[in-house]
Amino acid sequence: MEKIKEFFKTFLLIELLKGMALTGRYMFARKITVQFPDEKTPQGYRFRGLHAQRRYPNGEERCIGCKLCEAVCPALAIKIEVAERADGTRRTTQYDIDLTKCIFCGFCEESCPVDAIVETRIFEYHGEKRGDLYYTKPMLLAVGDKHEAQIAKDRASDAKYR
Amino acid sequence: MINIEIDGKLVETERGSTVMDAANKAGVHIPHFCYHKKLSIAANCRMCLVEVEKAPKPLPACATPAADGMKVHTHSEMAVKAQKGVMEFLLINHPLDCPICDQGGECQLQDLAVGYGGGESRYTEEKRMVNPKEIGELISTIEMSRCIQCTRCVRFGQEIAGQMELGMANRSEHAEIMSFVNSAVDSELSGNMIDLCPVGALTSKPFRYTARSWELSRRKSVSPHDGLGSNLALHIKDNKVCRVVPVENEAINECWISDKDRFSYEGLNSQERLTRPMIKQDNKWLEVEWTTALEYVANGLRQISNSAGAEHIAALATPHSTLEELYLLQKLMRGLESSNVDFRLRQSDFSFGTKGAPWLGMQVAEINSRDRFLIVGSFLRKDHPLLAQRIRQAVKAGADANVVHAADDDLLMPVANKAIVSPSAMVDVLAQILKALIIQKEAAVPAEMEKIAVGDAASSIARSLASGERSAVLLGNFAQQHPEASQLASIAGQIAELSGAKFGFLGEAANSVGGYMAGAVPGDGMNAREMLENPRKAYLLLNVEPELDMHHPELAMAAMKQADMVVAMSAYKHHATEYADVLLPIAPYTETSGTFINTEGSVQSFKGAVKPLGEARPAWKVLRVLGNLLNVAGFDFETSEAVRDEALGEACKLNNRIENIALKVSAVNAAALQRVTDVPIYFADALVRRADALQKTGDAATPCARLHGDELQKLGLQPGDTVRVAQGDASVQLKVSRDDRLPPGVVRIAAGHPATAALGAMFGELSLERA
Repeated sequence: MEKIKEFFKTFLLIELLKGMALTGRYMFARKITVQFPDEKTPQGYRFRGLHAQRRYPNGEERCIGCKLCEAVCPALAIKIEVAERADGTRRTTQYDIDLTKCIFCGFCEESCPVDAIVETRIFEYHGEKRGDLYYTKPMLLAVGDKHEAQIAKDRASDAKYR
Repeated sequence: MINIEIDGKLVETERGSTVMDAANKAGVHIPHFCYHKKLSIAANCRMCLVEVEKAPKPLPACATPAADGMKVHTHSEMAVKAQKGVMEFLLINHPLDCPICDQGGECQLQDLAVGYGGGESRYTEEKRMVNPKEIGELISTIEMSRCIQCTRCVRFGQEIAGQMELGMANRSEHAEIMSFVNSAVDSELSGNMIDLCPVGALTSKPFRYTARSWELSRRKSVSPHDGLGSNLALHIKDNKVCRVVPVENEAINECWISDKDRFSYEGLNSQERLTRPMIKQDNKWLEVEWTTALEYVANGLRQISNSAGAEHIAALATPHSTLEELYLLQKLMRGLESSNVDFRLRQSDFSFGTKGAPWLGMQVAEINSRDRFLIVGSFLRKDHPLLAQRIRQAVKAGADANVVHAADDDLLMPVANKAIVSPSAMVDVLAQILKALIIQKEAAVPAEMEKIAVGDAASSIARSLASGERSAVLLGNFAQQHPEASQLASIAGQIAELSGAKFGFLGEAANSVGGYMAGAVPGDGMNAREMLENPRKAYLLLNVEPELDMHHPELAMAAMKQADMVVAMSAYKHHATEYADVLLPIAPYTETSGTFINTEGSVQSFKGAVKPLGEARPAWKVLRVLGNLLNVAGFDFETSEAVRDEALGEACKLNNRIENIALKVSAVNAAALQRVTDVPIYFADALVRRADALQKTGDAATPCARLHGDELQKLGLQPGDTVRVAQGDASVQLKVSRDDRLPPGVVRIAAGHPATAALGAMFGELSLERA
């Protein structure tokens, strides 16, 4: 009996039609493909993209070189050197993030006592040479300076859940 | 013994001990800040509050004596509530700057705040601010607001360093730790306050912001400086020593180290480090490969040995070199059939101590239990900071310290009797003490001592020694460098024998005993003095800077300049560039494995902690290759341990016995000024001479010619005048300063500094005239 059923199924191409029906259904369904880069998906304020270093409104860099982010980084992507600046404050002389190592876990942001290192919504960056994705302190500060308004807004939205 | 119950554990403890002691015995941790096992009890942090049954209130464990049958709960509801309350109070004024604090990650307050601190502060008022004080080049007090007033640093100064340099001024909220008005902390043990501070109020100035505690890897090592051989932990980041802290060893350094041990690491990363082998050709220094340099040395030595004879080759090493280096150096020399090898560079009288290695004569820890001391010729505090500390503890416990010396430097402890005389009168004073002892013991006075007149100081020293049960007679660096050292040692030995005292030599450097053990003494060859008096054709220098490390710098320089070949093995580019032919970069103690034998004879080996800088290589490897190139047999060592084992297999025994030295008290020329030479603590070896922070301290000031006030008046000089100091043919210009702690008729001039390097021997007559 089973064998006969199977024979007719094969003979009448039922599997094929089933498959085609599925294809057909999707052909007329609402499209979910996003036409990147013309279109973009919505992002949450906790989006973890490219890193940035922030400054205080008076232009002073926030980072105090406590090295907590370096210590917490599971991918060992952060390298920091610290020295005393002429005014006696503790400042970084080197703050590098190797984005090829980074796994975007957000721990650095989480551990930062002064909200200096943050992850922004930017994810459309690229490098043409290998070294291009090795972000140094001036590069990170530049990202921060450019997107400070958005960064500040995102931190404010998240503040009530902290 | 009494029984006490802590958290349900029954502990037996001594009567009179505290609950804290009992808890430590039981392995129960009670949180604390002000309590420290080596310091007195202050009970002012209140963190160690515990519940004691039948007591109405929580009691501080550190200050509560344990009583029989006492039941203590350290983690009961009452105890924890009290501890949390105390923590909240401590945190009221403590700044929240852990992320930039150098103590962060190794801070007792931080650690305990995790366990006992609240998540949020209820205190919304302004926090207290304390203005930073300037207390010297070693300790930073910039963040004094972090202080929790435990007073550990104050008690350390009073009790261990013997000098209260920090104190707590004002009361309650205004209380703050400060030094006396505008004075720096000058103690040679001051760095220990950094370790003691449970928060980040006192931090290391040279280390400031260099690294965070979790980035550092820790390697054990041994101090290459004084004869104690303190155990060290080197903290390393990126193949660089970032700081040095003590490793606790109750038998040697307890939990302290001197500032010299702690801050000398700066010299390791000095700009002056020699990193490539260099050869001088046509008066120009060329950087060359190791093979070229070593071939050059081997050929040079071979030529001199063939043409002039092997006895024209001489080797000098500092007693700061490792056992392995000293052993291979002497083996190389003996392989070349020359016995001219010596490490006793600052000694001038070599006619004693050849039967064995002169040593402390007792274990270091035994010092604390001595009840009488006779310290002969020692700048004790500066030469042996931690041994001085042990003697201080013994004196505090009731011992008498007696001093025979040529300068009355403050030892920061009560000195029972002292005889401060000019260097040439020291033998006489010791002979007086010996005679007084003989008379007191009612023995026959030998004929040669008949003429000696016993003075008051000598007879009271003799009385003090005779009344002791556990006495010690110690010979300091100054006495060992004295031109009549054999007389001093021989008489001191007899005094010790007569009074039943232990007799010891305070080792000048890390390997003062090890040098003898390695056999780096000439035997039938020339000793350090003779090698210079009879200039040789070739000199091998191991770590030596002749103008700073030798007894007679002027003679040393003359000998170096006339030599056909000088091979300087050194970690630094130094003055040798003027007279040497080859410079071989060798590794300092952090970059080589090796062994130091301290003054009590403990053999302490250590491993290299970081890679040698540049092309520098461990000296034992350099000497091994040199031995191979010169075809000396028995140079097939693969490890430094093999060298050590061979060296120790042949080593002589520790022996302080001095025989066959006839008493001879020479007449004193009272008319001439005599030189008293100290080797200041931060000029004593190549490494500290390059440690920046130490070189900025008061102890590293440019040497002056120091005289007693009366002497100055006699010469018509004022402090601050510039004078020409002439010693034989040599002379230098120095400033004069007044020092009433010196006996009349002496001028105190430091050695080990370029300003005095042109002078002659460390002892002898000199003259002053206004420049």
